Amino acid sequence: MTSATSDDTGVGAASWEVAAREFAAWRAGDRAALDRLVRLLTPVLWHLVRAYGLDRESAEDVVQTTWLALVRNVDSVRDPQAVLRWTTTTARREAWRTARAGKRVDVAEPQTLDAALPPVGGPDGTVLAERTARTLWRHIAELSERCQRLLRVIAFEDRPDYASLSTELGIAVGSIGPTRGRCLEKLRGLLAADPEWSDRRD
Amino acid sequence: MTDDLTLLRAVHDMYDTLDPPPADLADRVLFTLGLEDLEFELMRLQETLQPVGARGPETASTVTFSAESLTVMVTVSDSGPQRHRIDGWIAPGGALRVELRTPRGVHETQADVDGRFAFAEVPSGLVQIMIHPTSGATVPLHRPVVTPPVQL
Repeated sequence: MTSATSDDTGVGAASWEVAAREFAAWRAGDRAALDRLVRLLTPVLWHLVRAYGLDRESAEDVVQTTWLALVRNVDSVRDPQAVLRWTTTTARREAWRTARAGKRVDVAEPQTLDAALPPVGGPDGTVLAERTARTLWRHIAELSERCQRLLRVIAFEDRPDYASLSTELGIAVGSIGPTRGRCLEKLRGLLAADPEWSDRRD
Repeated sequence: MTDDLTLLRAVHDMYDTLDPPPADLADRVLFTLGLEDLEFELMRLQETLQPVGARGPETASTVTFSAESLTVMVTVSDSGPQRHRIDGWIAPGGALRVELRTPRGVHETQADVDGRFAFAEVPSGLVQIMIHPTSGATVPLHRPVVTPPVQL
């Protein structure tokens, strides 16, 4: 077990509803609601975009572009309930497109990230101990690129749009569920075989 | 055995720990969304040159942004405590109208015919450069181009 105590696996049902509420409030004229919406969803978009292997600068560009697209095409989001899916799907599509266009893609290594990292540990104490995180990172890196991408996406997006995900992963819609199962199984096996993982105390 | 949800939570926390979003990313998004008129092209960061002499008094760093029809190379150097100088070079060169957005207001200048412009004494904080279509300039722009905000 991990030390995580929050029920939030990324965009849980709660964030879904909060996003819809802020979006509706913003549409009704509350400018501060847009601020809250951007702060709520920007970290989620970041992780989705990084799942496509873009370097940090390109990932930032994609996140900016996604928000601009939302504000410019606000009328295309008829139902506030759809705002989360609209932004996450737009961000993933743009990230996929950018990565395919051969923009700077990097294979991030924790070591190379060190310099850019803030001190480990979140304000709510839900982040993993750094050593545990690194162990997990190392094993995820052993998975196929497709598994890595899929797991990062579903770790941050509860119910991703399967049609777009299917195109981006190059697998049939019907294969996403089974692939997800296989990827998690593989990861579980790798972790089970690693004493550093089973002995950890967060 | 760890169930799927627990494992995904661990994956979630792991990425949040080892590859978190830049702390000011949401602020920078909101800075861009604060533009009055959203009819512009957002430039992309093309290249960053690492600061030279990062700890010395003569810190300078250069970044290049690109749009469809032009690029702009921007060098930022310190001009005093919490004060910066911005030197820009638009290519292809042209006498375009250039705005610098800061949290405290907008500064305006005009590039010379070679596309060079400068802003002196810029306080620390987020800034964003906007280049406008300008009559008489040799570079035809059909809408403004805007850099992503950068932290000085």
